[in-house]
Amino acid sequence: MALPCSSHSTLHSKLTFGSTSKTPFLGFTLKPTTLSLTQKPLQVRSQDLSIVPQEQRWMFADDEISGPDIWNKTWYPKASDHINTDKKWYIVDATDKVLGRLSSTIANYIRGKNLVTYTPSVDMGAFVIVVNAEKVAVSGKKRTQKLYRRHSGRPGGMTVETFDQLQQRIPERIIEHAVRGMLPKGRLGRALFNHLKVYKGPDHPHEAQTPIDLPIRDKRIQIQR
Amino acid sequence: MTRIRRGYVARRRRTKIRLFASTFRGTHSRLTRTTIQQKIRALVSAHRDRGRQKRSFRRLWITRINAAIREMGVSYIYSISINDLYKRQLLLNRKILAQIAISNTNCLYMISNKIIK
Repeated sequence: MALPCSSHSTLHSKLTFGSTSKTPFLGFTLKPTTLSLTQKPLQVRSQDLSIVPQEQRWMFADDEISGPDIWNKTWYPKASDHINTDKKWYIVDATDKVLGRLSSTIANYIRGKNLVTYTPSVDMGAFVIVVNAEKVAVSGKKRTQKLYRRHSGRPGGMTVETFDQLQQRIPERIIEHAVRGMLPKGRLGRALFNHLKVYKGPDHPHEAQTPIDLPIRDKRIQIQR
Repeated sequence: MTRIRRGYVARRRRTKIRLFASTFRGTHSRLTRTTIQQKIRALVSAHRDRGRQKRSFRRLWITRINAAIREMGVSYIYSISINDLYKRQLLLNRKILAQIAISNTNCLYMISNKIIK
């Protein structure tokens, strides 16, 4: 099935749709458009023409004759689509941001749910750096009332700490704990967790990765003072 | 009563099962009784998951379309876009929309801009 939305191939993306006038599926005709340079090198092409009956061959453009069937096989990333060195790096300043809302956004970016190429079984997400972790905020009385528990495995080995105490002791653990709870639990989830880098002060050792600012859409993430 | 050997009846039946489970791990492909059980479990999973497959793929397409639509702007959401799609009587299903989103994102942007108006 060809859509009348042709794109001229640039470096990587080899997909072109034939522009035809006879398309019964859309309620309007689309003008052909040029595809801008895509970052992901996707080799996506349509099906083999020999299985198409003669009277329907007008629907396919010349470029679509050979290659995998993109309309009947859902796209799955190849190894070259998720190389760690090509992933994006984001940076967030946690100063005065609500803990849960911040962690939720971070978890989404780490998992890759903001990308079209999202695949649940593959690590397609980005790396996220969090700085100023000790300045993260919580609403209400959580600062003194939220409890962090851990158990050593032995009887009577439960340790309970409040948010305040943990923030003084190991501030990075607060954000790590929150994000870990929002990532999937399993082998892939544990691998994703390693893409989160939390730091106490305003410095981080990842200047070489040139991180971009994490785009946050949540309006209530910043604590109003 | 004369002695009757059972012959190759059972062996033939078990060979078929063993062939089915020939790629299973460890004793699941070696020991007869275990093989029979594992074949049954495999077929049960396959039967159940053929129904699940349809669900999970639709889920994946929806997530991908959602991600693509949200990149367009702040108040662009999957649910609203699908509603617009229905209002404008566009018959594209989620599978095709997701594949369009991945292979030719500009096309998807054009479609959704048209239906928003």
